[in-house]
Amino acid sequence: MCENLFDDVGGGLTLELNKVTMHLDEIGRIMAERHNKAQQRSAQARALLSEHAEVTEELERKIARAREVDEWRRGAIPRGRRLDETAAAPRPPDRYTLIAADGSQIYPDRHAAASYFLLNTGAIVFRGGTGQAPTIYSEPEVFYADEELYDENHEIHGADYVSAQRNRREIEALADRAEEERAALGGDVSVPIICVLDGPLLPWMRPNPEDPQAIDAEIAFFVQQLERMRRAGAIPIGYVDKPGSANVLRILELIDTPIEQITRERLREGGFIGLADRMLFGELPPAHRTGLFEPNSNTNDRYQYRSGGDRITFAYANMARDAGPGNAAIARLEAPGWVVQDPAKLDIALAALYANCEPVRYPYVLARAHELAVVTQAEKADLESMLAQTMLRNGIMPEISFKAANKLLTAHRR
Amino acid sequence: MTAQERQIGRVLRSTTAGYTVGCRELTAEQSRPMPEFGQLVKAQMLNGDTIYGLIYCVTIEDDAFVRQLVAAGVEEAEFIEDQRQRRQVPVVVDVLTVGYGRGDAMIHRLPPQPPRTLDPIFACDGAEFVRFTAEPDWLRIVLAAQDAPVDQLIVAALRAAAEARPADQRQPYKVAAGRELARLLSLDIARLDGILRQLR
Repeated sequence: MCENLFDDVGGGLTLELNKVTMHLDEIGRIMAERHNKAQQRSAQARALLSEHAEVTEELERKIARAREVDEWRRGAIPRGRRLDETAAAPRPPDRYTLIAADGSQIYPDRHAAASYFLLNTGAIVFRGGTGQAPTIYSEPEVFYADEELYDENHEIHGADYVSAQRNRREIEALADRAEEERAALGGDVSVPIICVLDGPLLPWMRPNPEDPQAIDAEIAFFVQQLERMRRAGAIPIGYVDKPGSANVLRILELIDTPIEQITRERLREGGFIGLADRMLFGELPPAHRTGLFEPNSNTNDRYQYRSGGDRITFAYANMARDAGPGNAAIARLEAPGWVVQDPAKLDIALAALYANCEPVRYPYVLARAHELAVVTQAEKADLESMLAQTMLRNGIMPEISFKAANKLLTAHRR
Repeated sequence: MTAQERQIGRVLRSTTAGYTVGCRELTAEQSRPMPEFGQLVKAQMLNGDTIYGLIYCVTIEDDAFVRQLVAAGVEEAEFIEDQRQRRQVPVVVDVLTVGYGRGDAMIHRLPPQPPRTLDPIFACDGAEFVRFTAEPDWLRIVLAAQDAPVDQLIVAALRAAAEARPADQRQPYKVAAGRELARLLSLDIARLDGILRQLR
């Protein structure tokens, strides 16, 4: 009895909940206050949207001006003449193919026994209307050779590099599968092929002052893969669930601001900072999308340059089954400009994705691609155990750092 | 192994008294479902012995993803076939060991060693079922089993064993098996009656 009591105290509690609970009421009160304020401000934003939905030439000038004074502002350029346009998804085609890819990784860890990193790419080809089981793929790759593991400064690659490699494999897997599928269809273009990535369509990279052009290399790679999908007659889509972006709100902030008062300071004060566009479009009927917008961003400019003039475009869509703001499931769908030149293509993709969302309110293919890609902690532990054994067989004693060893000792609390 | 014998899965864990097999899916080929309650299966040992067992439980595992699909009332075949054929949610099969084969001899005792992890497990064909059940001593092992639904298993296995024989031998086989059961269960007439009623 006493021994158990001692163990509980000595081995267990490091988060002393009694020291946190006194803050809980305050946390709840502040969250409620924040929520109410956000509701009020999003109601104001919706009112502004309905009163000033027309895209006037003055608004276009303001959007251009805002971008000039603040290069890093993430606004949007409306492609239509109204900000409140909507479009309904058609019935999904009798036959369509949805391809999704996702990746996961084990990052290099200098505290671990072995120096390596791992990428695992999962993909699924779902042939709607055929009644067939989908085809699934899972491609693990381990990187351990010097030229794979170290950069030109002989330092082990960091998380940004590994993430970029993972992103490349995801988009490449989509292009590979799209080409295979089109070939398997004998080139029949009547069956739409929709390729879905989890997240924005273009890769995001942390700005690297030592290598400012690194992002261009990644975008150039994405341009190549998107072009392969275009040649295969496929529709690439970046699917962002519960998007936090506020590109349209950034437009609304300009409506009441005279153009001569648009300064960086004024922009950064923004009337709707902290809100997200999805709060604007909660009343979209299910299976409907907004009009089209281009992200007014540095990344899109780089994509435009690398692609020879194309621009990534997005729309918000409500993937919920039941109508009403309380039920809304707003997603952001991104597509290359060459897709939305014919909005019917985007609407076919929306229809197929909406049908695919039925079981889990999120694209089933993305849920499965994630499942095929994810490397669990248990799998990582198994791999590292096998690596340790192989090191022993080669006469090396596997050693982890003191830091890693102590983390292991303290990680398994009761 | 003959063409009739098909692999049902691989061993997950084992003891000398029985083992658990993981398989990818339920199938139905040549008008016979697999794995099937009461089916005779076998594992090949390194020393050449063959361990025989009877399937006494087939469990289809689930997970949160499957439960969500059921709750959503999914009807489309693509989702259902993906879950059945592609997801790594195994069908788990429990097997009761009932004897082993060494050379031409069928030995109705527990084997010296269990099959190893990941050993393939095959369904026996009709001829092997007939050979294994030619003598009724395996019934004693089944009757002594602790965790299996013993009476139901005896009925299923005897019916399958009879079915594996030519039509004119089926009823005599069942009668002979019934006599053996009457001897083994002479102190439990009610139970014997229950088994025999289901065996007819």
